[in-house]
Amino acid sequence: MSRLLVACFVVFPFIGLFLTFPTSLTWDESILNTVAYVIVVGFVNVWLGMGTAWWLLFTESRWKSWVEWLTFLPLFIPVLASMFGMYIVLAQIGFIGTYTGVGLVLLVTTLPYSIRLAYNAMYVIGRPLLEQTLTLTPLTRIVFVLFPLMRESVRTIVLFSTVIVLSQFVLVQLIGAGLVPTVTTRLYQAYAGNDVSLALQHTWVLVSLPVLLYMGLDALFSIWIRLVKGRLQ
Amino acid sequence: MSLVLSGIRKRFKDRDVLRGIDLIIPNGEIHGLVGVSGSGKSTLLRIIAGLETHDGGTVTWEDMPLDGVPPHLRRITMLSQSPLLFPHLTVGENVTLATPNRSREEAEAWLARVKLPGRYDAEIHELSGGEQQRASFARALAAAPRLILLDEPFTNLDPGLKSELQRLIRDLVRELELTALLVTHDREEAMLVADRVTLLETGYVRATGTPGRLSETEPTFGDFVELSGTFYPTTDIDVSTEPTSDSLVLVRPFSRFGHHFGEYRRPTGEYVILPRSESFKVGETYYLRQKQGGI
Repeated sequence: MSRLLVACFVVFPFIGLFLTFPTSLTWDESILNTVAYVIVVGFVNVWLGMGTAWWLLFTESRWKSWVEWLTFLPLFIPVLASMFGMYIVLAQIGFIGTYTGVGLVLLVTTLPYSIRLAYNAMYVIGRPLLEQTLTLTPLTRIVFVLFPLMRESVRTIVLFSTVIVLSQFVLVQLIGAGLVPTVTTRLYQAYAGNDVSLALQHTWVLVSLPVLLYMGLDALFSIWIRLVKGRLQ
Repeated sequence: MSLVLSGIRKRFKDRDVLRGIDLIIPNGEIHGLVGVSGSGKSTLLRIIAGLETHDGGTVTWEDMPLDGVPPHLRRITMLSQSPLLFPHLTVGENVTLATPNRSREEAEAWLARVKLPGRYDAEIHELSGGEQQRASFARALAAAPRLILLDEPFTNLDPGLKSELQRLIRDLVRELELTALLVTHDREEAMLVADRVTLLETGYVRATGTPGRLSETEPTFGDFVELSGTFYPTTDIDVSTEPTSDSLVLVRPFSRFGHHFGEYRRPTGEYVILPRSESFKVGETYYLRQKQGGI
């Protein structure tokens, strides 16, 4: 019974969407911007998240605890507070209302979580096993061991950053100053203007992107692992 | 051409783990590093492998200073207590990954050398602990190292498997003319496997020498009985359970290093250890730790 109840709660928000599937999808700037941000922010999160987690795991630097503290600081401070600080800095260097500024704000919001996710995954795999990869060249280490071994974490990082990118409205409006349209900003305009057709279309983009990305990553990792194993046969 | 450690120092927070280690290990030697927990032996191994930095001193291997050289450029491999095989790869793929040419044939040959023929496609979890350790050893050898570091690789194995693997590793390291550094807290193991042994104590080298010499000169090293090829199998020795004026009495049979031994009491009351099977190789020397009243 409880499972049925949970299933109802999960399905409930989507019932209306499934009943009104848009017949056509118009690609506009906001969708392209959103897709571009999802790809770039996801890639940078995986790259920097795993790189920083690796450094934190292996470094003997006496600055380690400071870096760790600074990296995880955004996890403790409300995002809006830290973003307003960022707004002031970006305004000084002329990044307000630019694509770079919005990209930076999305990165700063997601990266601490990605580092934490990657670090936890590496911690669970264990330093002794990861040390075994140190006798391999860096490229072999990443291609043959790290990515296949951490595929679930990589997928979580990408999906997490995707969902954040897709759902950020206030920060994108604040830093983008209304000049950088994304699906979310369009969606709020559509809601405010009662444009149901436009709202529906963008809502479906919000739903489809993570699902497609999930399936895409699944396929990518399957191919990747098959190639790795094929190379070792 | 050798491994030269000169004045190696390492400090963890407020504790000096290594306080100036000087050691020369000639090529082709199996060298034992013996010491109690916390004496710095594993840290020293990790410094040589490049997994840990040191605060002072130099590590030189085959006339090349290793300071700052990343682990993958050192041609040194390390075998740990746990097998540490990559779980997303099969047994053979783990070995192939380590071979310089990514060759399956080469990996299969290595697996056969460690007595795992035909297990290339086996998943890691299908292997027993001892088999996993053997696969791990195959992977370490497949990387074509000149120096192999053994960090208590026999610790988690049961006694029978332990002696089998000890002999396998010793024989293969000798056959391939590698240099090996074995870290162990088990002095008997060092006596069996190593050509020379260094006794580490709280970050210092207390003594270095052959196992036989150390057992004579270092009281802390332990009291060992030397069994060498001059002992003959006991098949023709008069052994009985009832003592007579000239017979030996079998007190307790036992096995070590895959050989069968017997602890006997002479009519005069003293105890002797003699081999009980033909598998004991003439010319080889074994050391057994002596306890009160026998082995």
